[in-house]
Amino acid sequence: MKKKLRVLIAAGFAAIPLALAGCGAGVASGSAAASSSKPVDGGNLVIDRSNDAVSMNKTTTFDNSSIYVMEQIMEPLFTVSNDGKTIEPWLATGYTVSANKLTYTIKLRSGVKFSNGQPMTSADVKFSIDQNTATGQAGWGYINSAIKQVVAVNPLTVQIDLKYAWAPILADLSLFANAIIPNNYAGETAAAFYQHPIGTGPFEWDVWKKGQYIKLVKNPHYWQPGKPYLNSVQFDVVPDASTRQLQLEGNQADIDTFPDWSTFSALKSTPNITATAFPSTEIDYLTMNEKVAPFSDIHVRQAISDAINRTALVDAVLFGNGKPANSLLMPGVPYYDATGGETYNLAAAKKEMAESSKPHGFTTTLQIASGNADEAAAAQIVQAELKPLGITLNIQQMDPTAQHASLLADTFDMAYAQWTMDIPDPDEWTSFAVNPKGGASSAFTYYDNPAVVSLNSQAEQEIDPTKRAALYDQLQQLTSQDAFLAYLYYVPYAYATTDNVHGFYVTPLGNFHLENVYLTS
Amino acid sequence: MTTTPAPTLTPPKARRRAVRARSLRPWYRNGSLVAGIVIVGGLILVAVFAPLLTPYSPTTQNLTDVLQGPSAAHWLGTDQFGRDVLTRLIWSTRVDLRIGFMAVLIPFVVGTVLGGLAGYFGGWIDTVVMRLVDIFFAFPFYVMVIALVFVLGAGETSIYLAIAAVSWVSYAKIVRGEILVAKQQDYVMAARLGGFSHLKVLVRHIGPNVLSQAIIYAMSDIVQDIMAIVTLGYLGLGIAPPTAEWGSMIAGGQQFITTQWQQATIPGLAVVVTSLGLSWLGDGLSDLLSPDRRK
Amino acid sequence: MLHRLRFIPGRILQAIPVAIGVTILVFMMSHLLPGNPAVAMLGNHATPAAVAALSKHLGLNQPLWDQYWLFLVHLLHGDLGESITYQQPVFGLVMSAAPVTLSLVLYALVLSLIISVPLAGWAASRPGGVRDLGVRGYTLLGQGMPQFWTGIMLILLLAVRLRLFPVSGYGQTPLDHLYYLFLPALTLAISMCPTIIRSLRASTIQVLGSEYIGTARSKGIGGASLFRVHVLRNAAIPTVSIVGVNLGFLVGGSLIIEQVFAIPGLGSLMINAILSDDFPTIQGVALVVALFVVVVGVLTDIVYTLLDPRVDLANTEAVR
Repeated sequence: MKKKLRVLIAAGFAAIPLALAGCGAGVASGSAAASSSKPVDGGNLVIDRSNDAVSMNKTTTFDNSSIYVMEQIMEPLFTVSNDGKTIEPWLATGYTVSANKLTYTIKLRSGVKFSNGQPMTSADVKFSIDQNTATGQAGWGYINSAIKQVVAVNPLTVQIDLKYAWAPILADLSLFANAIIPNNYAGETAAAFYQHPIGTGPFEWDVWKKGQYIKLVKNPHYWQPGKPYLNSVQFDVVPDASTRQLQLEGNQADIDTFPDWSTFSALKSTPNITATAFPSTEIDYLTMNEKVAPFSDIHVRQAISDAINRTALVDAVLFGNGKPANSLLMPGVPYYDATGGETYNLAAAKKEMAESSKPHGFTTTLQIASGNADEAAAAQIVQAELKPLGITLNIQQMDPTAQHASLLADTFDMAYAQWTMDIPDPDEWTSFAVNPKGGASSAFTYYDNPAVVSLNSQAEQEIDPTKRAALYDQLQQLTSQDAFLAYLYYVPYAYATTDNVHGFYVTPLGNFHLENVYLTS
Repeated sequence: MTTTPAPTLTPPKARRRAVRARSLRPWYRNGSLVAGIVIVGGLILVAVFAPLLTPYSPTTQNLTDVLQGPSAAHWLGTDQFGRDVLTRLIWSTRVDLRIGFMAVLIPFVVGTVLGGLAGYFGGWIDTVVMRLVDIFFAFPFYVMVIALVFVLGAGETSIYLAIAAVSWVSYAKIVRGEILVAKQQDYVMAARLGGFSHLKVLVRHIGPNVLSQAIIYAMSDIVQDIMAIVTLGYLGLGIAPPTAEWGSMIAGGQQFITTQWQQATIPGLAVVVTSLGLSWLGDGLSDLLSPDRRK
Repeated sequence: MLHRLRFIPGRILQAIPVAIGVTILVFMMSHLLPGNPAVAMLGNHATPAAVAALSKHLGLNQPLWDQYWLFLVHLLHGDLGESITYQQPVFGLVMSAAPVTLSLVLYALVLSLIISVPLAGWAASRPGGVRDLGVRGYTLLGQGMPQFWTGIMLILLLAVRLRLFPVSGYGQTPLDHLYYLFLPALTLAISMCPTIIRSLRASTIQVLGSEYIGTARSKGIGGASLFRVHVLRNAAIPTVSIVGVNLGFLVGGSLIIEQVFAIPGLGSLMINAILSDDFPTIQGVALVVALFVVVVGVLTDIVYTLLDPRVDLANTEAVR
């Protein structure tokens, strides 16, 4: 996002402050900052990715391939800043919070129209948020569980009443699931509407050839004047990474989504191609099931965590792109603590093993998803790194759905998993990970530390950013000590673009605003 | 749905000449058989003596030496984990050969028994078995195998079960076909008239001829099974890492195809050589056991 | 001649229990897959509560027998059900993927015939000679190459090194399709040719040695005309049967090729459906493929009967 609108904020409450350091630069030349060349109108942008989208229903869709497309069509009230740390107004222009922190009054931007020409009003906002809340646990509705009600005060003002003080509320509203769509689905049923969704975004729906491509065209009613520059955007399905690379080199595609890390430096040095590793909020980790001995033993968990050479993993699997993961939170998220946490120390690992309930080691199984070369590589390296402790790690490859089913059914010892944030707030992840009653049973580890649980619920309700930071610091230190998850690494988003592409930038949450992109020849 | 094999018409003189020529030749003059024995025998030796053939371990990682090209120390270079590619190639022989041979056992037994019963007794047994055959036959081989491995979870046992579930069909068809023809031969009718029981007739009279056809088919089936195992390994549904296996080696090497092309290419060549050996062996056996049927 | 075609009604009747058997098998298989579509859709966000709620939302909780019955009932109306993942009729998904696979398979068949017929003819004209040995060597090699590996090798040589063909994908216009499908079709053809060549070569040798060819030769007919008119017509007969049988294998084998070359056909649809536990789609695709194999089988028998006046398929023994 190039232009940043400054926000008028009522007295007493500031926006979430810029976080501590720890967010690497990683911004490629020629992409993020204001380009020196002048934007050119026209062109069809072709984006290659390995999977097709699944659905455009923003309330029940969880896969990125669908999300990246729908974000170009439907927009939320707020959005995340480029560095991932602050919330910025988007379809809203500002907000005030009541003294008791339970009521948010949000001002809507005037002059915004849907792609069908209809103006956006508070009725549409209320409908959109309520529809998401209604899906409940079957979709993203749970993220609105703090909302008591949404009131359309006047056509350009919306009031949100909360059940309890809830710091992540603005971050929740910036989630694509809460994007704004026309009231009553513009007269259609929900199912029909989502076959060709209508929104306020820079592009509108054109066509979807399943398994092949999705095409979007310019929205003539878009509220940012002069944008989008592109006439159309095409999302092509190209499962093989080498093919994507060849298409990029042959100018049949403009953007290659997630090239293989093994080809990354070669891409960087290819003339006319820019390869960028955008900092992300992805963390890869190993889940340890505490219902299975010996993982209930903290010494065993710490030994495993200390024995993993994360730098070696980053070098061998990510070919140097990425960072060792030291903490529960990730660099792109507010309140990330870069200091301390889980680190590599083989001597300490052996000491912990000696003090544990299984000083001579044991045999266990690690479940990974099949068809994922990076996961297989990381698993094999970890397997080798745990051998000196006497731990024999058997690797079991399962199809991804079966692997998730196994987590749910509690039929695993260790499992490879990852998480990427969807909102610019730690809560979505911390509640999933540390709360044994939080639906996921502490990321399926059954980890239960009352001190940590209490820290998490306090942080959810604490609006003051400084106090919140202190709470999350403590939470990160405690969880690293308990080593309930063995953190592996933080993985950036890899993108390769031709040098004709300007203005392409990916936030740590993974989304990109295509209205800023233009093509030169 | 099943078509009985077309009667092969060969002019009498040409046939007799060919049969005499082939059956008069001693086995060691049969080119295919010898080539097959040499290759397959060689592969078995390589598999058995793998640890002696190379100083490296197929699974120990060496993360400082990754993705090296071919050199004096590593004739085929190293892979993503610094493991010697040639060593892994050699050790894969153990896995792929063993599983390939074992995987034919269950379908062979099940298919032969069912096909035998169907062909010999006919009637409703035949109808039921052949309908089952039709149903399984209508399924694309790989769809079934992949789905079954998904259901059963990846691993050696699942591979055996999945392949068994799908390939018994061919044995059933062949055995049934052979028995249908054999039943009508004079010597069988003579045996039955002479008072031999069904079982005796099956085992002593019809059995050997029928079995030889099944065995010949089994040789090509081993090839097909090795293909399936290698394909499953390629899809990530085969033997778990870090065990070396040709299919997973090809999958692992595919991302380096532009820089270290030998990683994806050479294991495939190993599969080709193995299949060649087995096919020649099969052809040779076919000559030995039924010279008049040689295609 | 029509008298010999009387096996058709019987064969069609036989197809019905087979079709039902296939639906039962597919139904059982897809419901045995671990997890369910809700887990697949939720991915990392799957929690027991979310899975339960989404399953209910998608109607996944009815007893199996009810689901199977509904499936059959819909099937009789030509409705293959609705994909859970895409929330769209399976019929539509299949109809957009099927032409892709069919074009690939037919393209492969055409290429196979172009390669096999001349090779088989050369080999058969002098059995035991150098050409024959070369052709037979090729058939053995072709059978030994794993299809996905052949595909990768072709990509490496013709697409990456020589840049003659695209690495993968399907293209947008029909002319594009011909270009993009060449390598995948060639890969399939390479694995199909050995079987065709073996059969064609063997039957050509037999036909060449037969008496009526001798008669034709003595009449002065020779060379290519002899081959085309007399030899090929008769030698092709057993091969037709083999091609028919192999068409079924081809459709199944195309699954792997579609993965390697990223072709949006039935194989890719099937694999994605298996990966996301989308059992309506799994059932729909498996059923369509099975029916295709069955239909091809019947058509093969018809062609076979028409070509060879000696064959009477209605006369299969009731055994004793």
